[in-house]
Amino acid sequence: MSVLTFLRPRGSASAARERLQLIIAHERSETGRPDLVITLREEILAVIAKHVKVDADKVQIKLERGQGVSTLGVDIEIPVDAAPLRASA
Amino acid sequence: MPALNGRVGKEKFTPVTSPAPTLPVFACRGRVFRALALAPQAPVSDWLALLDEALKRSPTLFAGKGVILDAANLGSEAADIESLIAELSGRRIQILGIEGASCEAAGLPPFLVNGRPAADSVEVVIEEEKPPMTSLTIEGSVRSGQTIVHHEGDVTVMGSVSSGAEILAGGSVHVYGALRGRVIAGAAKNPRARIYCRKFEPELLGIDRLVRTAEDMGNHLRGQAAQIWLDGGAIKIAALI
Amino acid sequence: MAKVLCVTSGKGGVGKTTTTAALGAALAQAGEKVCVVDFDVGLRNLDLIMGAERRVVYDLINVTNGDAKLNQALIRDKRLENLALLPASQTRDKDALTDAGVERVIGELREKFDWIVCDSPAGIERGAQLAMRHADVAVVVTNPEVSSVRDSDRIIGLLDSKTVRAEKGETIEKHLVLTRFDPARADRGDMLKVDDVLEILSIPLLAIIPESLEVLRASNVGCPVTLNNPLCAPSRAYIDAVRRLKGETVAMAIPSDRKSLINKLFTRRAA
Repeated sequence: MSVLTFLRPRGSASAARERLQLIIAHERSETGRPDLVITLREEILAVIAKHVKVDADKVQIKLERGQGVSTLGVDIEIPVDAAPLRASA
Repeated sequence: MPALNGRVGKEKFTPVTSPAPTLPVFACRGRVFRALALAPQAPVSDWLALLDEALKRSPTLFAGKGVILDAANLGSEAADIESLIAELSGRRIQILGIEGASCEAAGLPPFLVNGRPAADSVEVVIEEEKPPMTSLTIEGSVRSGQTIVHHEGDVTVMGSVSSGAEILAGGSVHVYGALRGRVIAGAAKNPRARIYCRKFEPELLGIDRLVRTAEDMGNHLRGQAAQIWLDGGAIKIAALI
Repeated sequence: MAKVLCVTSGKGGVGKTTTTAALGAALAQAGEKVCVVDFDVGLRNLDLIMGAERRVVYDLINVTNGDAKLNQALIRDKRLENLALLPASQTRDKDALTDAGVERVIGELREKFDWIVCDSPAGIERGAQLAMRHADVAVVVTNPEVSSVRDSDRIIGLLDSKTVRAEKGETIEKHLVLTRFDPARADRGDMLKVDDVLEILSIPLLAIIPESLEVLRASNVGCPVTLNNPLCAPSRAYIDAVRRLKGETVAMAIPSDRKSLINKLFTRRAA
């Protein structure tokens, strides 16, 4: 395999470089707080639990790391018969 | 395990069947093991140079092994045995005992006669309980990193002995596949032990106290079926027909 | 009955992660429910090869420690719905894995999937031993090169002694995948022959993967090679390997430069 392979304009190497740049930037910014997502989940759940009863297992968290901005999706399953806590209090 | 505990408990509480109580005994058992013997010859400086050359070829030759120093050929230089032992320990060779010399000095390893401590060689008659010779058969292959140690009898390997594997047997070693690792036969002081293999590509071979590395053996039998035996203190190798 | 398959080698850089991704995807392409698990804690790479690195939320350690449920940590593949990834942690080290934790997670995975493909870290230490511990089938990845072959031999010894199956006195199925096979060098006689490797390791051959630009391309774009280009020579070898794993008898050909023009087209760039 030659160096030219990497220099070809539409080769897969440019895709590799972009993917690596993005993920390494994210990993560097995450050093020191590797459990950020867990912390976020716990705190978001704590806020919601003030109002409705939620099952911690019925929570799906999706993360999409992007260029410049990442999206965090928290999908919480709330049972239909979940009584609002404030009403019962 | 629980079954064993139960039986011990039962014996304790049924005095009818228990043996007469015995006084606690200070247990002292004999141990027989293999040691390499080094027999330096005067002048010691020349002999040390030869040793260094051998160690350069196989640096782990003496690693972790007990070594007996045979001082019989040292002549007048035997008096300075302390500095010789210091030279050896500088090469990480540990001396367990000294044979063939009689000078006493504090801090030296014990003096031995015919492999026994010199002090009690006269009175002690050791009735050696020879373990029954049993052979060990290994169905598969001995892989790199594995070690088979079998002091009492032959070892038969149905598969191959890989590069980086080791076998140490009291008796003969039979390898029905390829022999690519290290094999020492006759480790129980048995010069009549032999090594047989279907494909001869070993890294190291030994019988009784003699050891040869692959480099010493040459290439003429590589890949062939071969047997290795000891003849008058020399390792012989021949093709099996 | 779910099967746990461990991809292992002893030596690093021989193609374990590529093989894990390719076999996992090929099994999923054949309709099996598959989870690929990265055991290389601290040096995760399977997420990159699978193209899921931007979606990792939780990892294997989070699940073994109870910080997250298995369902929350599994990443579904975007291309194949019956393929999932359980990534390794990049921030912890291998000591963070516990025997009991791994046993529990493998047990849970067995209930959800048909095949659990574990990507072992290099070496013979704890991480590698945990990855192989619960395996029913092992795929030993070897390059036709002396140090790789000897390391594989060592790993086969460990598979026969340190796995749950071995400890119970059962046999563990072992297969050889010969990677980075260069037909041109083989024809010139400058590479260990397939027969020599097989004779030394004495385990059955599952696949010969020719050295190929397609493997590099697939990892660059983050797609298992069997998905990225199912018709290229390495993909066909992996797809045949999966058919053999599932019990089919498939003829095996040793890639050669001399054989055909087609073979030449696939392999010449790699020489």
